[in-house]
Amino acid sequence: MTAGTPPPVLEAMDVSYGYSGPTPTQALDGLSLEIKDSEFVALLGPVGCGKTTLLRIFAGFLRPAKGWVRCGGASIDGPGWQRGYVLQEEAIFPWMTVRENVEFGLLAKSVAPVQRREASDALIELIGLTAFAEAYPKELSTGMSKMVEVVRVLATDPSILLLDEPFGALDAQTRQRMQDALAALWQMRRKTVLFVTHDAEEALYLADRVLVLSPRPGRVKATFTVDLPRPRSFETRFSPELLALKRQIWEAAGLQR
Amino acid sequence: MMTWVRARRAVIGLVGCVTLYVLAAEVGHGRLPERIWLGAHYVENVKLLPTWRALVEEGAFLIESNILVDSIAVSTRRVVLGLLLGSVAGILLGLLTGSASRLEALAEPWVTFFRFTPALALLPLYVVWFGYGESSKVLLIATNVAVITFLGAHQGVRGVPRVYLDAAASLGADGQLRFRKVILPAAFPSIFSSVRVAAGLAWVTIVVAELINAQMPSLGYLLALAGAYPRVPTMLIGLATVGALVLIFDLLALLLHAWATRWMERAA
Repeated sequence: MTAGTPPPVLEAMDVSYGYSGPTPTQALDGLSLEIKDSEFVALLGPVGCGKTTLLRIFAGFLRPAKGWVRCGGASIDGPGWQRGYVLQEEAIFPWMTVRENVEFGLLAKSVAPVQRREASDALIELIGLTAFAEAYPKELSTGMSKMVEVVRVLATDPSILLLDEPFGALDAQTRQRMQDALAALWQMRRKTVLFVTHDAEEALYLADRVLVLSPRPGRVKATFTVDLPRPRSFETRFSPELLALKRQIWEAAGLQR
Repeated sequence: MMTWVRARRAVIGLVGCVTLYVLAAEVGHGRLPERIWLGAHYVENVKLLPTWRALVEEGAFLIESNILVDSIAVSTRRVVLGLLLGSVAGILLGLLTGSASRLEALAEPWVTFFRFTPALALLPLYVVWFGYGESSKVLLIATNVAVITFLGAHQGVRGVPRVYLDAAASLGADGQLRFRKVILPAAFPSIFSSVRVAAGLAWVTIVVAELINAQMPSLGYLLALAGAYPRVPTMLIGLATVGALVLIFDLLALLLHAWATRWMERAA
């Protein structure tokens, strides 16, 4: 590493991981990647290619069996708020109101109630849920809950976001609105984002770079730089540039036949 | 809304049963024998199905003489004490073993042991250990209650979905905060439904315990005394009183459960 160039924010080198059990599974095999500061990277791959495994390794819940991962040049040992992690499953705390959910990370950091309230007010307004601030999650739709989970992670102001198919369970319309909301959030508060998805259009619409993973055991099969201008709009989704990239991605994934 | 519909149905059910009994007694009391064979001798002047007038008369006597009120006070006090003591002990222990798997293996055989041992089998031992007074009765209830609430708390902690623990950990929560704000509230539904079961069980235990070593005043004694005469009206009023107390306790436990799980999707 030469002096002056900061280390990649997220770095995986030759990472392998397998699950033991009745059906031993090799989830990742020799995967390497680097993510620069404030870069939005989408990880695209078929179901079961180890996307979630990789994200859980970066989040600190799993340790690679082989190879290593680093965050800002330091090794990752255990979960922490510096890497905001939004799980694939619905993980909003149902016994807390929207506000309590959003403030949870600040509570963990022992931030004073007044500042907690200011932060949660701003974040809840950002996703347009002010009217639901004191409501329990049972009153929210799936899309609303997911956005609460995203801003819950943003509350502690982590420099890195790890998002695991956050909009996977949504219908196409809601999904588009959520993508726009996330893009707007990212424009406002630049973060390094690693976004897992199996939707090529979603990956291209949001990311600066798309990494295509191979089927299990997962490794990076192809990399695409997305040079579409920002802010991206409805028109972007149907622009020839995006469609051309989409075609290349599907070809790289071996679906051209 | 739902609760009102259910409350109305419950009241209709109760009123229906009472009406049926009153009608049956009206028709039957003149036709049934008043002389019955009981053990070694005949007993005269027995009302097998007392009419509502006989029941009102008996009730008025039991209330005016303070027997019923004192009995309710004494038995309720025992149940409340036993419930509190048993719940606190059971829930604390369950939370502990639920969080530490090594303790679970230590506690498990004892839980199974007590769970399927009839409370009354313990009574002689408790009488020898703690005497004929209050403590053996209260501790007997507490033992029963503790086993149920222990299981509720233990399973509640064990059942907390992984995603919540992972989310809390990655938001930077330490073990203490995770326990207080994630594990405990997530275990509430299981804990409070076990308390509801235990509240009913506490009444079963106390009335039977009071039957064995019947002392005045208590609902168990009232029933034992009514059996010795035998006086059916007294028995029926004693039974109705215990039943009403069980219903009241169940309602209180239900309200507590509803409060602790107000965040949940609308369920039972």
